[in-house]
Amino acid sequence: MDHAVQRQVDAAMIAALGEIAGDGGVISRPTELKVYECDGWTIEKSAPQLVIRPRTTAEVSAVLKYLWRAGIPFVPRGAGTGLSGGCLPLHAPVMICTSRMNHILEIDRANRRIEVESGVVNLNVSNAVKADGLFYAPDPSSQMACTIGGNIAENSGGPHTLKYGVTTNHVLGVELVLPDGEIAELGGTVEELCGYDLAGAVVGTEGTVGIVTRATLRLSRLPETYRTMLAIFDEVAAATRAVSAIIAHGIIPGAIEMMDQLIIRAVEDAFHAGLPKEAGAVLIIELDGAAAALDEQTAAVSELVRAAGATEVKLAHDENQRALLWKARKKAFGAVGRLAPNYATHDGVVPRTKLPDILERIVAISGRNRLQIGNVFHAGDGNIHPIVLYDERDPDQVRRAIAAGREILEACVELGGSLTGEHGIGVEKMNEMPLLFSPDDLLVMSELRRVFDPAERSNPYKVIPRPGGCVEVATPRRQAPL
Amino acid sequence: MQLAEELSGLLGPGRVRAPHDGEVACATLIVEPRSEAEVVELVRKCERDQLTVAPLGSGRTLAALRGAPVQVGVSLVRMARTIAYEPADMTLVCEAGATLSTIAELCGANRQRLSVDPPAPPQTTLGALIAGAKSGPLRLSEGTVRDLLIGIRFVGHGGRIVRAGGRVVKNVAGYDLMKVMTGSFGTLGIIVEAVLKVRPIPPRYELIVACYDSCRDAFAAAERADATGPLAHCEVLSPELTGGAFELHAGYNGGATEVEHHRAALKAVLGQDAKVLEAAAAHDAYQRLRDLALDNAAIAAQAAVPRAELARFLDESGAEFRAHALCGVAQLYRRECENATAARDIVARWRERAEALRGNLRLIALAPELRDQIDIFDTPPPSAFALMRRLKQTFDPRNIFNPGCFVGGL
Repeated sequence: MDHAVQRQVDAAMIAALGEIAGDGGVISRPTELKVYECDGWTIEKSAPQLVIRPRTTAEVSAVLKYLWRAGIPFVPRGAGTGLSGGCLPLHAPVMICTSRMNHILEIDRANRRIEVESGVVNLNVSNAVKADGLFYAPDPSSQMACTIGGNIAENSGGPHTLKYGVTTNHVLGVELVLPDGEIAELGGTVEELCGYDLAGAVVGTEGTVGIVTRATLRLSRLPETYRTMLAIFDEVAAATRAVSAIIAHGIIPGAIEMMDQLIIRAVEDAFHAGLPKEAGAVLIIELDGAAAALDEQTAAVSELVRAAGATEVKLAHDENQRALLWKARKKAFGAVGRLAPNYATHDGVVPRTKLPDILERIVAISGRNRLQIGNVFHAGDGNIHPIVLYDERDPDQVRRAIAAGREILEACVELGGSLTGEHGIGVEKMNEMPLLFSPDDLLVMSELRRVFDPAERSNPYKVIPRPGGCVEVATPRRQAPL
Repeated sequence: MQLAEELSGLLGPGRVRAPHDGEVACATLIVEPRSEAEVVELVRKCERDQLTVAPLGSGRTLAALRGAPVQVGVSLVRMARTIAYEPADMTLVCEAGATLSTIAELCGANRQRLSVDPPAPPQTTLGALIAGAKSGPLRLSEGTVRDLLIGIRFVGHGGRIVRAGGRVVKNVAGYDLMKVMTGSFGTLGIIVEAVLKVRPIPPRYELIVACYDSCRDAFAAAERADATGPLAHCEVLSPELTGGAFELHAGYNGGATEVEHHRAALKAVLGQDAKVLEAAAAHDAYQRLRDLALDNAAIAAQAAVPRAELARFLDESGAEFRAHALCGVAQLYRRECENATAARDIVARWRERAEALRGNLRLIALAPELRDQIDIFDTPPPSAFALMRRLKQTFDPRNIFNPGCFVGGL
């Protein structure tokens, strides 16, 4: 972090930036700024002093050049659907929001790629090319709202990444405005690179290297058809065994998602998707590909899950049934709101074969902290999403919820896993980074960040914890000042 | 001689040697560390004494790259252990000196494979695969090493051991140093260990081969083949590589029903004359296709252009080629060149055309007498190159890691 003298946000600055960003391009009234005080990580809040909504790369560049000269750090923001506090302003008074940069620039069907501005909503990309038999594969649960720029920052995943990969596997190139306002073209539009893979290096940097304004994305061919199954189990352990059995058989489904009883009940009450409320766990298994292949695979999967202990296997018979199952899964987090006033969603990863172990540990963590914890997750790739239920009006519950979260992440790391599969480190898991990485690892990662952002102006105090010199204010979890 | 003695002192006897034939262009001395700790010591010494250093497997990639040898070549031949292979998790952790054929044998026992397939697996080490961003026909269906590499350890500046990623298939904790190291050609440090995703070997594989009179007809057929469903790979070969016509080689795989379905659909679009190879014959043909190159070519290059432009690009290039037709990537060959000027002109023309299509081209082999006349790599756009230079300076401030032969002289 540089210690250049920072100018304060004042009327002259608001006027100058308003000049650049045009009508509706600047938000400075405290009541309106409240909207921007957090993302999906709601435990901590801090409103920016100013929000800028540029319309073009040139405007982003002009805004950043102005801030660079004024010595002011900034926070990039897409739709604010992140789950780890990635766009929570920390010592960064200005927020730059890509919501007005929402144009699809070029659809190149013959070469299966699309060029978009970074504020384009994820689902709009797939919708724009659906009629051509194509889609954009990464499908986070928030895909109706989240932006491509946000996906690039977080390297977002989704249920179908088991087969198709995460954001980084589908980004060919990006246009990045560096914190000093310079514009860099990284990566490209073809399948090989010239020089270092800087576009790849930018994906997943959580807004700490500047602002991605455009991206060239790879499009995938829509599968000919789907077979979506609901497998019902008396207990979670049997469901996890089924997951391993499918993969061991050499079948890679498009997705394998698990929900435990707590989640099944919440979802069923909310959406009436036909889930069995007495079941211990369900798996949603989706196979995709050529119709000819799928009957064979569906039969094999059905047999494997029954052998692993499924009491019933239901096949979605039409697109409506399939859509209902996916609605239940993708909106599961929303349904949890029915169970408790507050909840914290975690995002650990374990090797797939360690799923039974981590779930057992989560049961123990739940008991020890006297809090209910539900599980809904991407079983196929070992990416768990334990949901800790609590009531923020009770400080002791908040304390226990935080402790439970930390214990879950520690357990993931102990089992050979990771702190985050798709939500990012943000501010939420910064303090846990040393569980996974050595001081040298973290130092080299910071050095990579400073290649792009030598003064650490873009989204400061994120991802990499700072040894010493920082105070803890808001929660016992974080070393950066709020 | 003094350096050899000093290095022997560091690593012990029998671990420092003169380069073999294939390594002469790579390095003046070869050292064979046995452990990460020894690589750390070597890097520290090289930094201290300002010695240039580069990692090598069989030395083929490095030899093609270097105009002049580095002082210390770090052969990873003794660092080839399997650290962990978890078939049920489909992950593999190996030291960087492990060859692709060893890995194939290991994973094959569980009907799994590392699904990236450059030529010559017995000579290709994991380190070279990553640092050289090598690929093969299966990139169409399985992606490239960039998509499969989930964790890495390398020894960098100051002898620091740096680790990123992990051993799980989905992971966004920390910056993605795997991407930074992939295709970095030994210029940022020495990769010592890698974690990769492995994939199931499909139960059945077949290959259909069809012949065409023109490049464009063969590519048109590739598009028709693609429209029938997802292929495992799809290559178009030029006459000098086939000994006859332009050939389309399309592979497909899956369960029995799936393969039958593919075969029928492909026959319908490619014509009943197309030849189907099954079982062992298909595997043999695939291996020949994977290893196929025009030997002793004066110029060998790899070009990447938009896939819809590849046929025209190759047709106009006048080159012999093996094209990954649906990926927009091809290896181009020129058997002979009259003289250096002619060679320079040919490469310049290829390069200009690729760049006009917003693609790129890099040399993969070049007659020794041409090496100092032709750039191996394209020059990246200035805005990207400025960052690449900064990356190199940050990761290698003493400029000792394989210096001077990457993009823009990095």
